[in-house]
Amino acid sequence: MSAGIAPARAREAALLGLGAVTLTLGAGSVLLLLGGYDPAAAGAAMLRGSVGSWNTFVSITLVRSVPLLFAGLAVALAFRAGVWNIGAEGQLYAGAVGGVWVALTFTGLPSPLLVPAVLVASGLAGGLWALVPTLMRLRLGIGEVITTILMNFVGIYMAAWMVHGPLQEQRGVFPQTDRIIEAARLPALIPGTRLHIGFGLALVIAAVLAVMLRRSRFGFQIRAVGASPEAAAVAGRINPARVVFISFLASGAIAGLAGGAEVSGLTYALYEDLSDGWGYTAIAVALLGGLRPGGVVVTAIFFGALQAGAGAMQRDAGIPSAWVDVVEALVILAVLGLDRVRAARAATSTVEGGA
Amino acid sequence: MSDPLVRLRGVQRRFGRVQALAGADLDLRAGEVHGVLGANGAGKSTLFNVLGGLLAPDAGSVEIEGAQIALGSPRDAWSRGIGLVHQHFTLVPALSVRENLALGLRGRSLAEISRVVEATMERTGLRVPLEASVSAIGVGDRQRTEILKTLLRDPKVLVLDEPTAVLTPEEVDGLFDLLRELASEGRAVALVAHKLDEVLAVSDRLTVLRAGRTVLTTERVGATERALVAAMVGGGVADEIALGVHRMSLKPEVPALDPSTVVARLSGVTGDRLSNAALEVRAGEVLGVAGVEGNGQHELALVLAGRVRPATGGAQVPDEVAFIPQDRRTEGLVSDFDLTENIALALSRLDRFGAGPLMPWSGLAEEAERIRIRFDVTAPSVATLAGALSGGNQQRVIIGRELALGAQMLVAENPTRGLDVAAAAYVHGELARLAAEGLAIVLVSTDLDEVLGLSNRVVVMTRGRIVEVPKNERTREGVGALMLTGRSQAG
Repeated sequence: MSAGIAPARAREAALLGLGAVTLTLGAGSVLLLLGGYDPAAAGAAMLRGSVGSWNTFVSITLVRSVPLLFAGLAVALAFRAGVWNIGAEGQLYAGAVGGVWVALTFTGLPSPLLVPAVLVASGLAGGLWALVPTLMRLRLGIGEVITTILMNFVGIYMAAWMVHGPLQEQRGVFPQTDRIIEAARLPALIPGTRLHIGFGLALVIAAVLAVMLRRSRFGFQIRAVGASPEAAAVAGRINPARVVFISFLASGAIAGLAGGAEVSGLTYALYEDLSDGWGYTAIAVALLGGLRPGGVVVTAIFFGALQAGAGAMQRDAGIPSAWVDVVEALVILAVLGLDRVRAARAATSTVEGGA
Repeated sequence: MSDPLVRLRGVQRRFGRVQALAGADLDLRAGEVHGVLGANGAGKSTLFNVLGGLLAPDAGSVEIEGAQIALGSPRDAWSRGIGLVHQHFTLVPALSVRENLALGLRGRSLAEISRVVEATMERTGLRVPLEASVSAIGVGDRQRTEILKTLLRDPKVLVLDEPTAVLTPEEVDGLFDLLRELASEGRAVALVAHKLDEVLAVSDRLTVLRAGRTVLTTERVGATERALVAAMVGGGVADEIALGVHRMSLKPEVPALDPSTVVARLSGVTGDRLSNAALEVRAGEVLGVAGVEGNGQHELALVLAGRVRPATGGAQVPDEVAFIPQDRRTEGLVSDFDLTENIALALSRLDRFGAGPLMPWSGLAEEAERIRIRFDVTAPSVATLAGALSGGNQQRVIIGRELALGAQMLVAENPTRGLDVAAAAYVHGELARLAAEGLAIVLVSTDLDEVLGLSNRVVVMTRGRIVEVPKNERTREGVGALMLTGRSQAG
């Protein structure tokens, strides 16, 4: 595969993830020492800020993990199909715009209709954002790595234009939309916390994807096309273009839900910088999760905890929250490096083929 | 006899749990062509890679002209005159042939490189299209480019790993003439080839490896095929192989058909590399398709197997066709899938595995286990990844899977390429047995002996056209002439 990432078997994926996290936290501690900070104090602050109490865990860590969970699942699904969708960020913004537009426009609808409509709109918008790179790949043979990255910029600035123009608040002061009405907001998943049902929806999607990939015929086709489009077509008589089309759009739709769930579940309005690069962090989440839905759930929550803890680290230990960005980037490097080592070891331990 | 130019002693090398070399010896003398024989996995490629410095052995020594070379250093091996021609092509497809040749001579001026290239081409008779992009030239030209690239540095020892696998008989003959000439100039030439008769035809001496050890080194004169095969496979299997009989005999899931039934019919098929191709395939026959690679036989195979619809012309082929594709590793199997998943790839579309949205994994795993046992696949279990199997075992998985489809026709493309003698004999035995059971078989192969030895009817493909070979011209020479000219010698 072009990026050299194969979905590892479950046990290997878990070991790989643990190894990468250990390496990364080790390297991160060295960075803290070099910067003159106390890693122990930093770690304590991070734990306090992420899992210090039930309410911290649910209302901060899990809430932060929701967009990472959606976008991570989107990336994992695409990668499993051999689609290098780097465009979750743009798809997320498209989903946020689509969702907020429905929420601001159809204010007469009752909540049981409006909430699903908001989510469906965000999914459709995300899928639509993925449609452009999908068609460019299938019709023109243009690699989606480039096109999805470029569509990210279009998405980000499209959203920025929306909050400066057509969707700007009535007062016309700040670059943001009006707050959406109560009926359009996602209900709480756990009453008394900030955690909204978007988290539950993401878990349901993860479960559906897991069952689909492991048990269903279409999931098997996705895995076959992702692992070897030639063998899928010749031995399996599968049409790779059809599989790529469906998985790419589904990936875009799930990434769109990340934006829709964020605006209707947490911020209740669309801002210019809604996403903190979640669409990119999602790539790390997906890779660290071994491209498996279950793994993505675990790593999304882990990254949610990192981001939640970053605030506390900055407050309590004076460590710039940028440290967490560095750690997230190191995780990708560690996963890729360890995966390559795993692949090399697997290759040399096989029975020799040629003679 | 003088001291050997190259002396390998007690070479050992382990990959994970597999002991690829367990104490191999090899002497190469100046002026000789030395054939190295062995089954798949015997360690031939590994030994050559150690000699070329690409692999460091765990134990053992490599001497050239009495001096130890630094182990595992391609640079040192190069500078002492060892030229290794790889089994897999190492050319850069996007660059021209000239640029690829220049890569082998870094550090010299372009004018000087061109001079060396021209001189070497002149001297060796190896002609390659210098300005063409490597991606646009055929496998034969790529092979010549590889050899030329190695010869540019004028090595004292030339090592070739399976150089004949992709060449036509004429090209093989030309290559062997060249190797003899290079040896007569005082070089040592060592080669691996899977076809025994080829190795026997060109070599002065032979070394046989089995399970990573040198089991026999002998002069060509006096060596019999039977003795060599016995040394390669060991034990009593040799007699069966020599007799061309395989112990396997089982009832295939093939509907019995009247031998005269036409199973597939092409008429006027034109399109990707095919021009007005017409063909009938009947039940119970082996139809051999010969041709120089790139004359449309791959495209023909895809159309007959129902994988490609022709742009124009009529193609009546069965709904389900068993297909052994040319490239096991990319088209036949998914390396990262285990055996069950690879078998599911084709069999899950069968009615007996249902049509629901879920994969019937338990039934598929049982089927995979049946195939593994029936076809004698050497793998610990059906959960073994296909990429971990040897070429011969990969081919067994594919054959087992495709036969389980219960199709009336089998299309096999170079089904024994890269397989050792025993594995190839197994595949040939299966094909003959299946034809006798009433299956229609199309055997597309660049190996003329294979085509002539197994087929009831032979056609040749030249530039997309199909020409039937008359019975009295079904010889190497007759078919070879047709392959090159597209005309039968009689006509």
